Amino acid sequence: MVAVENYFILSSLVFLCGLAGVMFRRNLIMVLMSIELMLNAVNIIFVAASRQLGQVDGQIMVLFVITVAACEAAVGLAMVIALFRRYGTVNTDFLRLLRG
Amino acid sequence: MEALNLMPEILFYIISGMVLVSSVMVVASRNPITSAIFLVVDLFFVAALYASLGADFTAAVQVLVYAGAIVVLFVFVIMLLNLKPEALRGFRFTVGEALVLLITLTGFVIIATELAHAPPDIASPGNLGAAAIELAGGNTFVVGMRMFTAFLWPFEIASVLILLAIVACVMVAKKDKKSGLKGHIQSSGGN
Amino acid sequence: MNLGVDLTFLEFLASLPALVEWNDFTVGLVAFAVKFAILVGGLLQLPPLLVWIERRVPALMQRRRGPNRVGFFKWRLYGLMQSLADTIKLIFKEEVVPDGAHKVFYHLAPVFCVFPAFLVACAIPYGPDLLVFGHKIPLSVVRLDVGFLFILAISSLAVYGVSLAGWASNNKYSLMGSLRASAQMISYEIPLGMSLIPIVLIYGTLDLGKIVEAQTSLIHWGVFAAPFSFMIFLICMFAETNRAPFDLAEAEGELVAGFHTEYNSAKFAAFFLGEYVSMFVLSCLAATVFFGGWQVPFVPYETIVALAGSPNIAALAGIMMLLLKASFFMWVYIWVRWTLPRFRYDQLMSLGWKFMLPIGLANVVGTAVVLAVLRFK
Repeated sequence: MVAVENYFILSSLVFLCGLAGVMFRRNLIMVLMSIELMLNAVNIIFVAASRQLGQVDGQIMVLFVITVAACEAAVGLAMVIALFRRYGTVNTDFLRLLRG
Repeated sequence: MEALNLMPEILFYIISGMVLVSSVMVVASRNPITSAIFLVVDLFFVAALYASLGADFTAAVQVLVYAGAIVVLFVFVIMLLNLKPEALRGFRFTVGEALVLLITLTGFVIIATELAHAPPDIASPGNLGAAAIELAGGNTFVVGMRMFTAFLWPFEIASVLILLAIVACVMVAKKDKKSGLKGHIQSSGGN
Repeated sequence: MNLGVDLTFLEFLASLPALVEWNDFTVGLVAFAVKFAILVGGLLQLPPLLVWIERRVPALMQRRRGPNRVGFFKWRLYGLMQSLADTIKLIFKEEVVPDGAHKVFYHLAPVFCVFPAFLVACAIPYGPDLLVFGHKIPLSVVRLDVGFLFILAISSLAVYGVSLAGWASNNKYSLMGSLRASAQMISYEIPLGMSLIPIVLIYGTLDLGKIVEAQTSLIHWGVFAAPFSFMIFLICMFAETNRAPFDLAEAEGELVAGFHTEYNSAKFAAFFLGEYVSMFVLSCLAATVFFGGWQVPFVPYETIVALAGSPNIAALAGIMMLLLKASFFMWVYIWVRWTLPRFRYDQLMSLGWKFMLPIGLANVVGTAVVLAVLRFK
């Protein structure tokens, strides 16, 4: 039995990777991929906690997270394509029209 | 046979090492395709982690949906847009960014310490434990039973969400009929 | 563990089994290694044999001779050695890497193609349990509770090999071929999964071994329990492996050779290996799910054990039976390839999305309703 703390450490490191990606990368697709990474980090906690607490609800939450992640990726990528058609770039430095 | 008793630990360290290395590579590689492939590797090893935690069904779904479908979408879009490797910005923090990282880390420490000392939730109706899950017909069976009884409504709402996402994708990515691609690129200019 | 000085290497090897404590875990580990080695060794023999069949069969169909020359001295063996000669040629040919290729992914793509195919082959139950020194050994390399999902999940990873190969070659024909191939594989994966859901509903398990054990007699076979599933599966089988009539990915007239245009020598052979192994795996899956797997028709497993006097001989019969059934589907692959013309790409896509997917969904719902009515208490 691996102590459950190890999973939390692993998960937080993966989450920080994803967060760093969102903050430091300027490519919209890279940002989306980093978000997937963060969702995965949370999923690791769900499954580890599901074993720790002795119930399967955590695993079911992971299934829902995967569903939402699939929707998010599909809509996000559709928006990336639309943006690329509109501006010819997916660099987040150029896509700040809302900020003025 | 002491080595055999250490098997779960050794397995965990190998798998989590791979997860960490590939996560870093996802964020740190310049070429988006490289990132996507490392994302696949990462998801694959996270699935292995689930399997080692006894969540077989979740592991299979993870590979099937995440690695087999979602990341393929990413690879497709990267290939279609023909994205070139970007120059990395380097790690220069602004105060706000450093603050975000710090708050996240603190949150994780709090959650980890809280959950690590939580006793098994005996009173919960979903509480089963490994032996009971085996007795009840395996992980897949238990997850399925729980999913279609206690989580039936969330499940139905998730299907509506997927339907919404499909419609949204078609609407957003649909080509504008009035103006072609050329006009957009010319008008994009500098911003 | 006291090794004498005068102990020879062979004696040392012979003394090894006595040194290990034989419990379920160590037996399982050794059995896993042996099974995996046999499986990989066996699968590597597939492509030469199949290439030979794929040349001789159309020759017969078209009243040609086909390759019949290569052999030893006066024994020509119907040209069987042609495949050996081709293999040797492919392996020893000089490798040419295109200038603009992405060096890492160009070399990795064949690995991504072959690896999932071999991994999926590990989950197929090839026969009933062996009994070796009182230990039960299942005849699949890994026996999983979620074998079904495992196969679907891992085979969906094969898309990366194809799409990376096309992208990394830096050739527009390769890229178009790979986009076609991967879009096709993703599209047909959905009806393939849909066609297998009724089977899961009927047998109530995701364990392939248990599904085979449930198909004891002819009327319990999956093909009779879920005929529409079988039809959908059969069509998707061709699309998933990019074989004719759905081989648009390598439509010679349009795309040179599709995603492996820029590949040669051993890497080209690796793509062939991947294609033939995944053909074999899907044939095995079709036989396992729809045609009773290793069960011998009309003769129940218990009868064979009683007749043969040992479960091991029954296991051998089971393996032969499964290989026989699988080779029938391999034959269908080749048969169809030389019978039907190629589809157009838009026809392929509309068949997948507008025809197969609705039928697959209706099949799932219909099976569920029928089962609910039958099991209503």
